[in-house]
Amino acid sequence: MNEVITRPRTEAALIRTVRRTVAAYSAIASISLKEAFAYTSRVWVPFVIQFISIVVFIYFWRAVYASSGSTLGGLSLRQTLNYVILAQILVQLWEAGYIGLFGYLLRQGQMGLELVRPIDFQFQFYTRQLALLLYFILQRALLIPVLWLFFGLQLPSNPWVWVAFGISVLLGHAVVFFFEWCIACLAFYTTEVGGLYQTRTALARFFSGSLVPLALMPAWLQALTGFFPFAQAVSVPISLLIGITPLTEAPRVWLIQLLWVVGLGVLSRLIFRVAIRKVTVQGG
Amino acid sequence: MARYLKLYLWFWAQRLKVLLEYPGSTLIGLFCQILTQIPGILAIWVVIRQVPGLGGWNYNEVLLIYGLLTVSMGLSFVFGQNLWFIGNGYIRPGSFDRLLLKPIDPLFMLVVEYFSWSGMGDALMGAVVTGKALLALNIMWSPLKVLALLLSVGSGTAIFIAVFLIGSVSAFWIINSIPVTALFYMTHIFARYPLSIYPRGVLLLVTWLLPYGFASYYPASYLLGKEAGTLVWAGPLVAATLLFIGYRVWLFGLRHYASTGS
Repeated sequence: MNEVITRPRTEAALIRTVRRTVAAYSAIASISLKEAFAYTSRVWVPFVIQFISIVVFIYFWRAVYASSGSTLGGLSLRQTLNYVILAQILVQLWEAGYIGLFGYLLRQGQMGLELVRPIDFQFQFYTRQLALLLYFILQRALLIPVLWLFFGLQLPSNPWVWVAFGISVLLGHAVVFFFEWCIACLAFYTTEVGGLYQTRTALARFFSGSLVPLALMPAWLQALTGFFPFAQAVSVPISLLIGITPLTEAPRVWLIQLLWVVGLGVLSRLIFRVAIRKVTVQGG
Repeated sequence: MARYLKLYLWFWAQRLKVLLEYPGSTLIGLFCQILTQIPGILAIWVVIRQVPGLGGWNYNEVLLIYGLLTVSMGLSFVFGQNLWFIGNGYIRPGSFDRLLLKPIDPLFMLVVEYFSWSGMGDALMGAVVTGKALLALNIMWSPLKVLALLLSVGSGTAIFIAVFLIGSVSAFWIINSIPVTALFYMTHIFARYPLSIYPRGVLLLVTWLLPYGFASYYPASYLLGKEAGTLVWAGPLVAATLLFIGYRVWLFGLRHYASTGS
């Protein structure tokens, strides 16, 4: 008798909870998007700067190939250019981190407020970063036709390659997120985050394979990149997209990425649980 | 003039006191800034050593260009970084009025209020790379070459600062000048490599419009006895002209300054 009455009630409660949760997180996502688009110059200036850096790299690699012959490390000039153009775009995933935001919240004493909110602190950040990924895609999408027109950027026509690439980017984005989380937690101990941020960015720029395709690096450097998560968000998805890694290898690539995500995800939760004890909010 | 020089040194002394207050943090900051230069240098090391060269320039010659540019870039941040912050740091919160009330030139006051220590990290790393390249290249030194090297570091730094200055003036209209300054500034990455690898348009841009080439490509060409080297002597003139234009633009902007509030 009781069951009949309570069951619809709990179901209704469950639906309400789900609705509330979805509403809360979509609000976070939409605010993050609005924030990102708020200042027009902050939208188009990075775009132009991105274009300049790509142009520099295109002429750099053309000159490299002009003096070396048709292939380097098994890559043709066309492949290297496709790779480097896309790598310059995707490496931004590493630059749009939130280490600085962590430091800011701590120094301003706002961390306490963030922690008492009735939603998962980490998932809130993940939602925000996902929204920023969407912003990033919308903002940089225009680069693709421009680069195709002027510099002959080649992209695959097979839709499955794009699906494989999309999944790989999402997984790579999650790797970045959880790695950032581990590093950002160090801010609980150091408070100042400038150095952490710079070190991480410098390592990411090189070991993600954004400056030099991994195939062109000496063997020992290539081996070293395997110990860092950086390539998972740049070199790995791009290699899928432009065919350096064949499509049949995609499941294996995803699995490795997934292992990184799970490993770093668990680690990030553990580190956070320890580090949070260090938090002091304005007057301890 | 003597008064300004004295004031300049006094402000430097104050900045050093601040830096020495937290020696650990200061050293870590320097170290981390040096780290940020490593990927670019490592990329040249990995790529150029595998191939005969880049547009007719070998590995050490490319390093020389890269190093020289990094020295000027680093020094320009040491002496001129506050020009980046005029909008967000002064005009928006209203503290630019404070500068105008000082009994010294407001531009001078703005520049001396903050010396960037992290720029020193870039300059150091640039000097190490330049030194390494110069030693490996067996250059036949002459007094004229030493002079050209020193002049080009000076004019390179001045060119960067003049660009910061011109970018900063946009703050009088749009408040946050950082995007504009960043756009002008980021063009310098063309000058990291021999300008001979680019099409003519880029060469003209980086020689006459945003003349970063005078900080890297032209002095390196001169030291190595390459064709484009004679232009190195135009460097100081170009830098002086750009600084003059920058100062005129600054005065023009200053006349259009309206304080915060209604």
